[in-house]
Amino acid sequence: MAPRAGRLIAGVFVVPVLLLAGCGGGSSSSNTAPAADQGPQTGTINVLGSDNAETYAPVIKAFESANAGIKVNYSQVPFDQFNSTLQQRLGAKDSTIDVYTVDQPRVSQLAAKGFLVDLTDLDAKTKAATSQASYDANHFRDKLWSLPMWNSTQFLFYNKSALKKAGVTPPTTDPEQRWTWEQVATAGKKAQQAGGTKYGLLLEQAEAYYQLQPLAESLGGGSGITGPDALTPAVTTDGWKKAMSWYGGTFASGLSPRGIGGFQTGPVFSNGNVAFFVGGPWDIGVFSSAKVDWGIAPMPYFEGGKPVTPTGSWSLGINPASKQQGMARKFIEFATLDTAGNLATTEATTIIPANTKSEAQYLPRLEKLAGSKSTGAAEIVSYEASKTAVGRPVSVGYIQFEEVMGKAFADIRNGTDAASRLETATSQLNEAWKSIK
Amino acid sequence: MDSTGEVSRVGNPMRTRQPRRLGKATKAGRATKADRAGQPGQGRVALLFLLPALISLALLRLIPAGVALVDSFFTESLLRGGRVFVGLGNYSDLLGNADFRKSVGVTLLFTVIVNPLQIAVAFLLAVLYTQRATGSKFWRSLVILPIAVPPAVSAVIWSVIYRPDGLGNSFLDLLKIPAQPFLTSTEQALPSIIVLLSWIGVGYWMLFLIAGINDIPDDIHEAASLDGVSPWRRLWSITLPLVRRPLAFVLVADTVSNLLVFAPVQILTKGGPNGTTNLMMYDVYNRAYAIGDLHTAQAEVILLVAVTLIIVALQFRLLRGDDR
Amino acid sequence: MKRTLLSAGAAVIGLLFFIPLLWVLTGSLRPGSETFARLSPLSWDSFITVHPTLENYSKLFTGDIGRATANSLLVSVSTVLAGLAICSSAAFALSALRFRGQTAVFAIVVLSFLIPFDAIAIPLSDMFRDWNLTNTFTGLVLPGIGNGMAIFLLRQFFLAIPTELVEAGRLDGLGWFGVFIRIYLPLSRPALIGAGLTLFLFQWHSYVWPLLMGTDRGHILGPVALANLQGQNFVDYGVVFAGAVLLTLIPLAVILGFQRYFIQSVSSSGLK
Repeated sequence: MAPRAGRLIAGVFVVPVLLLAGCGGGSSSSNTAPAADQGPQTGTINVLGSDNAETYAPVIKAFESANAGIKVNYSQVPFDQFNSTLQQRLGAKDSTIDVYTVDQPRVSQLAAKGFLVDLTDLDAKTKAATSQASYDANHFRDKLWSLPMWNSTQFLFYNKSALKKAGVTPPTTDPEQRWTWEQVATAGKKAQQAGGTKYGLLLEQAEAYYQLQPLAESLGGGSGITGPDALTPAVTTDGWKKAMSWYGGTFASGLSPRGIGGFQTGPVFSNGNVAFFVGGPWDIGVFSSAKVDWGIAPMPYFEGGKPVTPTGSWSLGINPASKQQGMARKFIEFATLDTAGNLATTEATTIIPANTKSEAQYLPRLEKLAGSKSTGAAEIVSYEASKTAVGRPVSVGYIQFEEVMGKAFADIRNGTDAASRLETATSQLNEAWKSIK
Repeated sequence: MDSTGEVSRVGNPMRTRQPRRLGKATKAGRATKADRAGQPGQGRVALLFLLPALISLALLRLIPAGVALVDSFFTESLLRGGRVFVGLGNYSDLLGNADFRKSVGVTLLFTVIVNPLQIAVAFLLAVLYTQRATGSKFWRSLVILPIAVPPAVSAVIWSVIYRPDGLGNSFLDLLKIPAQPFLTSTEQALPSIIVLLSWIGVGYWMLFLIAGINDIPDDIHEAASLDGVSPWRRLWSITLPLVRRPLAFVLVADTVSNLLVFAPVQILTKGGPNGTTNLMMYDVYNRAYAIGDLHTAQAEVILLVAVTLIIVALQFRLLRGDDR
Repeated sequence: MKRTLLSAGAAVIGLLFFIPLLWVLTGSLRPGSETFARLSPLSWDSFITVHPTLENYSKLFTGDIGRATANSLLVSVSTVLAGLAICSSAAFALSALRFRGQTAVFAIVVLSFLIPFDAIAIPLSDMFRDWNLTNTFTGLVLPGIGNGMAIFLLRQFFLAIPTELVEAGRLDGLGWFGVFIRIYLPLSRPALIGAGLTLFLFQWHSYVWPLLMGTDRGHILGPVALANLQGQNFVDYGVVFAGAVLLTLIPLAVILGFQRYFIQSVSSSGLK
């Protein structure tokens, strides 16, 4: 509990400035004044995230040995309560949080509420360090609010033995030769009929916008959000309707199973019950010990459409109520913009570092993670990041959007007509956004 | 609970409750009693006994509820920033919202089914587990046990039971019954949630009824069985009336608990399919914690408490005359 | 014959309630990769494993769960002790005494448990912040002590205690406090156990509240530690189930331990 005293002393000087910065609510009022209110040079900073402590142990160790006198104390809040806990504690100007992990699509809302310190002075450095998509994802109203730590993409995993049994030649790892969803459906059905697997296809997060946005985008349906304020729903475009009817059909036909969700989808693949599985880089680690023989391919697209893949992950941001912002900045810069530091954040977990140089060092490791099964992963990751990745929309209403769409996807999955359900979603979105406009 | 008439008829001879009623009925009665005991009025004594509870209820429940009520008259604009007073705006938004109205309907339907079901099962189990049978204390502990399981894990267990390829359908398959859709169908989702909540709750409610049944003096049962009263009749006209007070507690507490439940819905169905399991408390929780729209959430809580209050008031009315 | 039938019925129903938990128990003794492997078709090894492993448990104890369980126990037991004292005395006033405004007070008690705690937790946590109770055991215990449902429960049982006993006690020179301690409490053991369990479980399942209060690792509670076992992209259900078993064992011990007092009833313990 040593940090308390230090924080208290620093608090006397910084409180007035922070109150100004914190109370503004809008982004315009909080201009960073790095010189005056950085707090003490040494002490303990508190980092809040939703991953387990082991994930951050390597980066914290590396940071502490590079910065004598600064200790980092990480605390975990379970993911399902993370955003609400954060809102509540940031709203109450809780100064026991210095740094917290930021879910990229929530950057706009957190920034609009005045819950993030403006980091625009690091803009150039960030632009140089990371991909365009993750640079954009941390911006709101032309300012930089958080620094990208991780990145993600999706792969098509396939059950090798099931495809062999069905006489299907598996897809290749070459992104230029990627399969269409139609091909996947046909091959999946064959695998089911040949008795190799119970199901043909399963998406890891079967009801999540993150994984389904690319389906609509592949058919030119757009992100689903439009308008100058990014608070106008656009989920009834032809692309959305077509993609979602196809998606609903995969469940109606029995190609894909209803009623399996949460964290139970991965085991369906690793227990050999589904021919094709769409999942993230983390699954390479999870499936590496599975008894099934599997391979990896790029995420499919729709026939006649364009390849689109999801991207984005977590960033690090600073709490404006923190009284140790100097040390906090040091830490987040180290964990994101520093090559070794960013790489260390991925040492204990399977996730792609957002820093391009760290990524280059990381990918060979990912490629070998599951032996020969994951061969080709590195090539896919780099290709998707530069050619096909489309981020989630930047909108202060993203949280409501994700919630409304999640329920719509669930209903479509359970058999509700896609076109009319998307209409319903539109009116639900209008209603939900009315209060924040 | 339409047996209350019978309850008081059978109940009266068992315990002398007359002096108690006096307090409610006449001032003279109270005065007599106080004089006899040689005591001043009981108001001050009562206050001393009540004070700690009243302070904690006020500070920990009622004042924050008051804050929530005030919050429900405001809204927060992200684009313009800041808190804006909107009066009853949040309420009229809610009432004008089709999803919300459906949610009220689902909640009422759920209440009407789940409470009689759970109370009947809990009562029958309480009777079963107070019979002199081998190991009954151990077996009833297993029935009580689900309440102790972390709610998140209970939800995982039942998601596995209800999966299309899960334990439920595998079991039905043994009985040659075709696979059921459970949580993925608009017809079966709410009943499925009710079954899982009953698994969690009936043992718990049974516990209080067992405590009530154990309070029935043995000689009453002995006398009844000597008189040749059939077991079923004994259950209906002796046991049931004699546990009326615990039963009143279980009725009210179970109703309130079921109106305030949200964890299984949050984890298993998120209110779907098509809003058929969108219970009000889940909706409140979702608004407050997932979406972060605290102001509308608080307005919905106030409406939920109002609905609960009406239902509980009806129940007390039903139990009236017997309650004191 | 009848007794055998009843015993069989009691056992079968008990087992039916237990089967889902047996699956969890078995899952905790299996590698996490096999948790969902034997769901269909059903066979004996869906519920039983012949190669039990304690690996999940050893993984579990590298984390915070040990400390969290101890903390939860401390918080729950403190809540039961303080809560029973507060709630039973209130229930006593609402049942044994007569005073003006009694109905109104009872209505307030009922109203207090109609208010969903999770909904008011957010404003309440702001208040606790002002009172500097964040990240303290006091802050964790307090919300559990004023429990309207426990007051209501105890009142219902207290009403069953015959007035004659009170009168007799008063004539013997007992004050109201003496009547409460010497007559009401001993005669209401099952109800007190029931109310105690209600208070205990409220805290044992406490999840949202400690998070809102910004509780650190030193004050972490069981359900939070259990939820922390879930990663963002992957959950090892073997370990989660091991945690669930651990967190269920303690209330089980409480329930089993107090079962013997349930035989004690008013009639057998002093009425005659």
